[in-house]
Amino acid sequence: MSTESKSLYGILAEVKNPKKLIDIASAVERGGYRKFDTFSPFPIHGMDKAMSLKKSKLGWIVLGHGIAGLIGGFSMIYFMSVADYPLNISGKPFMNIPAWVPILFELTVLLSAFGAVFGMFFLNGLPRLNHPLFNSENFKKATDNGFFICIESEDPKFDRTEVQKLLEDHGAENIEEIYPD
Amino acid sequence: MDSHSPKLTDSVSLPEHLDATKTFIGIGVVGLIASFVGFFLDSKQFFFSYLTSFTFFSSIALASLVLLMIHHVTKSSWGTVIRRIPEAFVSKLWVWALFFLPVIFGITSLYKWTNEAYVANDPILLGKQAYLNDIFFIVRQVLYFSIWGYFGYRLHKVSVEMDRTNDWGLTILLRKISAPGIPIFALTVAFASFDWLMSLDAHWFSTMFGVYFFAMSFQAIFPVLILFTFWFHSKGLLKNTIRQSHIYDMGAWFFGFTVFYAYIAFSQFLLIYYANIPEETLWFYHRMEGSWSFITYLLLAGRFALPFVIFLNRDRKHSRTLLGIVSVLILALHFVELHWIVMPTLHHHGMSLSWLDITTFFGLGGVFMGLFFMMLKKNNLVPVHDPGLKPSLAKEYHQ
Amino acid sequence: MSKTYEYVPEPALVKGNHDFGSITRLVTDINLRPTPKAWYIVFGISNLLLFVLLASIGYLIWQGTGIWGLNSTVNWGWAIINFVWWVGIGHAGTLISAILFLFRQNWRTAINRFAEAMTIFAVMCAGIFPAIHVGRIWVIYWVFPVPNSMAMWPNFNSPLLWDVFAISTYLTVSFLFWYVGLVPDFATLRDRIKSKFGKIAYGIAALGWRGSNRHWWNYEKAYMILAGLATPLVLSVHTIVSFDFAVSVIPGWHTTIFPPYFVAGAVFSGFAMVLTLMIIVRKIYGLEEIMTDDHIEKMNIIILVTGSMVGFAYLMEFFIAWYGQVEYEKAIFILRATGPYAWAYWIMITCNVLSPQFFWSKKLRRHVGFTFFISIVVNIGMWFERFVITVTSLSTDFLPSSWGYYSPTMWDMLTYLGTFGLFGTFFLLFLRFLPMIAVAELKGAMPQADPHNYNDEGEYAPHEEIIPEPKRSY
Repeated sequence: MSTESKSLYGILAEVKNPKKLIDIASAVERGGYRKFDTFSPFPIHGMDKAMSLKKSKLGWIVLGHGIAGLIGGFSMIYFMSVADYPLNISGKPFMNIPAWVPILFELTVLLSAFGAVFGMFFLNGLPRLNHPLFNSENFKKATDNGFFICIESEDPKFDRTEVQKLLEDHGAENIEEIYPD
Repeated sequence: MDSHSPKLTDSVSLPEHLDATKTFIGIGVVGLIASFVGFFLDSKQFFFSYLTSFTFFSSIALASLVLLMIHHVTKSSWGTVIRRIPEAFVSKLWVWALFFLPVIFGITSLYKWTNEAYVANDPILLGKQAYLNDIFFIVRQVLYFSIWGYFGYRLHKVSVEMDRTNDWGLTILLRKISAPGIPIFALTVAFASFDWLMSLDAHWFSTMFGVYFFAMSFQAIFPVLILFTFWFHSKGLLKNTIRQSHIYDMGAWFFGFTVFYAYIAFSQFLLIYYANIPEETLWFYHRMEGSWSFITYLLLAGRFALPFVIFLNRDRKHSRTLLGIVSVLILALHFVELHWIVMPTLHHHGMSLSWLDITTFFGLGGVFMGLFFMMLKKNNLVPVHDPGLKPSLAKEYHQ
Repeated sequence: MSKTYEYVPEPALVKGNHDFGSITRLVTDINLRPTPKAWYIVFGISNLLLFVLLASIGYLIWQGTGIWGLNSTVNWGWAIINFVWWVGIGHAGTLISAILFLFRQNWRTAINRFAEAMTIFAVMCAGIFPAIHVGRIWVIYWVFPVPNSMAMWPNFNSPLLWDVFAISTYLTVSFLFWYVGLVPDFATLRDRIKSKFGKIAYGIAALGWRGSNRHWWNYEKAYMILAGLATPLVLSVHTIVSFDFAVSVIPGWHTTIFPPYFVAGAVFSGFAMVLTLMIIVRKIYGLEEIMTDDHIEKMNIIILVTGSMVGFAYLMEFFIAWYGQVEYEKAIFILRATGPYAWAYWIMITCNVLSPQFFWSKKLRRHVGFTFFISIVVNIGMWFERFVITVTSLSTDFLPSSWGYYSPTMWDMLTYLGTFGLFGTFFLLFLRFLPMIAVAELKGAMPQADPHNYNDEGEYAPHEEIIPEPKRSY
């Protein structure tokens, strides 16, 4: 198995608690690794700094969707009740903008929410039902009470023994090599 | 930084040279004397200008009062470091009440329902006489100001006492005062807004008006707090006490209540516009014709759209430049909006800015700020022994 | 540290001695255990009621709206009342998830999942009524802007159309919000369940979630944005429902305070419904250590606040009806309090304004049995509020010769009763198959989750606060 080093996905290790996960993540980050990830049952405050995560782009995706909802909604109402089939409703002007506000608001929110949810899954590369990490029986704890770090073999600095040593030095347990199927 | 044992490191007293009490009282006296001259030249204009300015400063004190009550009842910690600012605004509300007297002297100029000959020919106003009459009006004002004066005085007094006695149990007392205070506040402010502003147009009515007055005042309180924070910081005060996280919080609250204000103001407008029945629509009609309509759109753009677009982005809520500019703008527009509520009664056909608007503003503003500084310098700038101070100091800004 | 900086700590979110693992087990074991017998019994009853609903709707479509108690002036009856009532109940979930999230109220984590589920099912129940009350249900698609044989479009100036957009947006966004929160918990179930079918089902629902912190980073941002969007949305929905009434010129309906007043009423009834369900569920499933008495107390305070807001609005309406000196307004409010429906009006006042005032007492708002009683009283009161608004204004209209008394028929009642079957069926399925507490979020709110509560050696060392007694009692 060890001869096929190319197919190695990465090295997975477990630590005891959120604090240790933050510590080991910043150590790995300082060690110059870029292709690594940490796994925990809940988001941990301060992990963004430890892993040097860039600001999420999600806000811009949502803004784009929101503007699309607003402009799209306005164009739709304009076309339907001013351009295509104007109807006199209780003597109000055809461009009865105050009365359009509720629907414009709802459409803006609806599209923004789509942007937020689907944008988040898109940025995360989900859905992806299978993943090499799922081959580890121990990794099942990542959604319960386990805290994991995985350094991927694609990282240019990746060296099996060095990574092993780095993780051991920082008190990681259950170090295992992860192979895709 | 160890965020769990923060210490108060700043000096908590206002340096002597920053005490602006005398300056402001001076401005106030000059402004009021000038306005008094105006009273002889154009008494009607004087009373309307005076009412606008009085409502403006009162609304800041009233918003401070309810902010304090909510702060105590919800045990919220973020506001503890800035609490002395609203406390200094409310503690002398009972003195401020005396400045309502000119309005009472001017009710015949301000309110048409005081004119008995006029009322006698108007069945609607005749029907309202049980509520809209001189005596009951005055009785109500006495009631409102005694209630507000009491709560303002007590909330400040007990809070300051905690500095002296070092007994955190006093927060329990503050909570016990505040809890019944909130519903009492809601009722008195709603009726006061009916009395002061809504009854200027004695035929007009809107069930939402009290909420609307509250919403606009509450939006304006956050700019006040933000500007005072910046002023403290520029003088080197409380730099490690009111921190970036608190400024961010004030920005966030301001943003939230900007949306709330817009929601209330728009709902009131939409319902009246849509139903289009004469007894209600006329009020908006006066404000959407001629040059007044310019103000209407200015309020829409400046009091809602602009701050909304600017502060939609999280990061901008801690930009000092943007917060500073928008705060000044909002306070200016808060005055403009009150002007827009009051003045069309006097000037139907278009907006008019009288020099009396300016002198009464500075006159009453000087007094109001003078009272504020008097209370601010007397006590510590933060409630040093409040149990909420430590978590408030510990507040971190989370990206 | 000097004593002067002591802080009054918030009560612990989770009672008892729990760690992450035990929380996972406490909540998700409910889904993994065999189905209890009692569940089948209650599910059966709910199914029966659901059948009643379907039968009533079937008969309605066959026969027409004449089977209801509507008459020539009261042309909006139980259908609109039930609609507003259910939508109102459906406001608590998103309020708890979104508004309390923005206010950083961590205690929401114990109840948000549960309340969100309730929201979705309540909105579904609500949505039935406007759909079936149109008479010609087969052309209900005309409410959507789709081309049709008349070449006409929906009327965008109509509040009823605003409603269509508001309710469908609200249902969609609430569902998305709920689902986003569920994804990490689906992953937990996927990793814990033994059966192959369960693994596949939960696995698909979890979308391959693996707890990556790079994912959590975007996830938290998305959750924050959704909360920011849902907050104005939840206000807008009941605002628009109130517009259904308030843009008209019917006395008693056209009043500007309706938007905030309806929103307050909705939150009021929604929290009451959450309490009713929560008190039953936490008892049956033994979740008292997560849904604690502190939660009940906090929710009771919100009930007190919103109930008083509703009372404030009743007072304003009544005062302005007199102050406005519009004859018809005055008449309708006097008729409400003294006319043929005075009994309903006073039920409404008693249940909505007076009953929550008991919660000024700390003892009563921590009393589980009493809270349960009040939570039901509140929802009775809120039903009558909508009854009073709808029926009094319509039954005594501008023309006294057409005044009459409105009574529902058996079909009105059976349809309403049936919606409880729909609600119950979905809610029981939720309790059985989905984690009823947001496990991942709850863990994130525990003190063990905060890296600040660990010492430099990486051992859990929470900060102990010693609070002195106050010097005297106040």
